[in-house]
Amino acid sequence: MTLVAGVDIGSTTAKCILLEDGAIVGKSLAPVGVELVKDAERALEKALGEAGRERREVQAVTGTGYGRFKVTFGQYTLTEIGCHAKGAHYLFPGTRVVLDIGGQDTKAIKVSDRGEVVDFAMNDKCAAGTGRFLDVCAGALGFDVSEIGSLSLGARHPVKVTNTCTVFAESEVSAYVARGKDPKDIVAGLYASVVSRSLSLMQRVGVEPELTFTGGVSRNEGVVRTLRQRLNLSVNVSPLSQYVGAIGAALHGLERAGSPPP
Amino acid sequence: MESTSAKAPSFLSTAREQQRSMVEEYYAGLAQAGGAKRPVAYMLVGGNLTEIVRSFGYEVVFPEIVALNCAIKHVSLPNILHAESQGYGLDVCGYVKNDLGLQDLGGETPFGRIPPPDLLVCSFSGCYVYVKWWEALAEKYGCPLFMLDVPYMRDPEPQAEDRTYLIAQLKEFITLLERTTGRSFDLGELRRVLARSRRAEEGWVEYLDSGRGRPSPIEAYFEAVFYMFPINVLRGTEVAAEFYATVNAEVKERVRTGQYPVPEEKVRLVVEGVPPYPSYRTFWDFFRKWGAVSVAATYPKVGGLFDRGFLHDPGRPLESIADYSLGAYVNQSWPLRRKLIADYVKDFQADAVLIHGIKSCRSFTAGQGDLRDWLIHDLHVPTLYLESDHEDPRYFAPAQIKNRMDAFFESLGPRREPLVPPPGAP
Repeated sequence: MTLVAGVDIGSTTAKCILLEDGAIVGKSLAPVGVELVKDAERALEKALGEAGRERREVQAVTGTGYGRFKVTFGQYTLTEIGCHAKGAHYLFPGTRVVLDIGGQDTKAIKVSDRGEVVDFAMNDKCAAGTGRFLDVCAGALGFDVSEIGSLSLGARHPVKVTNTCTVFAESEVSAYVARGKDPKDIVAGLYASVVSRSLSLMQRVGVEPELTFTGGVSRNEGVVRTLRQRLNLSVNVSPLSQYVGAIGAALHGLERAGSPPP
Repeated sequence: MESTSAKAPSFLSTAREQQRSMVEEYYAGLAQAGGAKRPVAYMLVGGNLTEIVRSFGYEVVFPEIVALNCAIKHVSLPNILHAESQGYGLDVCGYVKNDLGLQDLGGETPFGRIPPPDLLVCSFSGCYVYVKWWEALAEKYGCPLFMLDVPYMRDPEPQAEDRTYLIAQLKEFITLLERTTGRSFDLGELRRVLARSRRAEEGWVEYLDSGRGRPSPIEAYFEAVFYMFPINVLRGTEVAAEFYATVNAEVKERVRTGQYPVPEEKVRLVVEGVPPYPSYRTFWDFFRKWGAVSVAATYPKVGGLFDRGFLHDPGRPLESIADYSLGAYVNQSWPLRRKLIADYVKDFQADAVLIHGIKSCRSFTAGQGDLRDWLIHDLHVPTLYLESDHEDPRYFAPAQIKNRMDAFFESLGPRREPLVPPPGAP
């Protein structure tokens, strides 16, 4: 029996996955604050509580995400790029490309048949097209981001929204609201903008099936639908898509558990 | 493959001390330069005509090198902001803004005062922004401006018609120098300067070639940048000609004692692009933590591709100066640049390529994205493209750059295979 944990400290949320002999036995997800070490501790404790396990039973902890160096109680770290590749391969073994859209990052990752990173591309210098982009623009529409997922379903004339700058996009959305545009059309424009930005990154690494969509934005059904339409390709989305980085981190620990920490 | 902690880098001790003294003496000497007795010529590094102006007694200033010295000493931003306050845009080259800001602020730097030019020689006309830079200086100082028109290199070797065209311009340049200095052209002196240049170039090539060793006894990007100061700034002087003997003796000592730039060489890299000088040490640390060492790099060759067969020839003075200007790295077409990098990967048994693009330079950076794609998709060489700036600290995002580098080095672990079998391998 080998129990390992992966802790993913992202820009918005902390996620933890517990794997026992390769099967998920516990998980947790909570917003992050400014005390990342405590957030990481809490994420692990919550997942242990869900699984009914003790901290002393955990043989390896791996940190990932921008806050991976704050998982100070762990033995290993791995970037979220490597972890999303492993995690997506775990959930969908046929994965060759991962699109991960998190709070501040969009990543396109080309993956080998063993779940290893072959190539990757990320957004540069601006959060346009990420979760934060949707947060800000939903706010300009008077919605919470969790409320707009299916809003684009009835869109008739999607508007055009810039995909190069979050602040400019927010201004555009406000201008469309002022001009009386239908919120459905504005949201559809936002999704087209997110997907267009993602496509340019995916084309850098090469689009090929199977594509697995991960990260918080993959929970947005409107973005998923727009992505499928633009690519004319089936897109894997797991109910655990927000946990893919943490799954990959746990898998990294599992691979290393047999050898002493460096 | 896990990252390891990085100690401060160790330099070649005597050579580094000598280099530091040479830099200090050079800038101290500049403070006394200028005017009829020791006139000052401003020149660009790419395809420069150092030997000719030295033979007329000029002191040479390279504003690009002054700018990088400002950046590495963290004083470039005030100059850049001053230039921006005069109307130069965010996307104008950092070298240009540093220089124009510095000139307008009086030329004082922590390493000495930069004298105004008596002569401006625009030795690389392939960058339109550079041409405008030199025109702005000419307008400010009212001194003669010589614009050398250098055709792009289309073939691996200079074409006869291009050489003839360059030589005709060099003769015009010599006439200008005779007129402005009141001195006659001294072919014998030019040959002597060229002979000293050649000695420095041969020593520099020996240093660069040692990157072929496994492990590499040199850091061919971060460390080489320090040792390229004499080949770029002091070429044609006796001190530069002698310097590389010291460097190469110390490299041999490194091999003898097993003191390598990284204690355990894990990744051999070819690096393309100008370094992010404002965050030079931070960027270097990102490499060293992974046991990554640059075994070959294109940037230290911007002052001359001496390692690819070209050396100044005192027996063919103007012809070889023309060939030098034509063959400058910045003057190479993209197919030639790509081939050079692919050759370095093969010849130096590199595992991967790292490209550092410059936000404020489209002339040198445009095409690097295609280079990345070509290396990955056509040659199957793992390649990472990063972007910040050579001068402007506002463009260096350490968390993002580190994250990309960590992910890249992580990914090399499972998929890395030597592109060329190590010597002696079955």
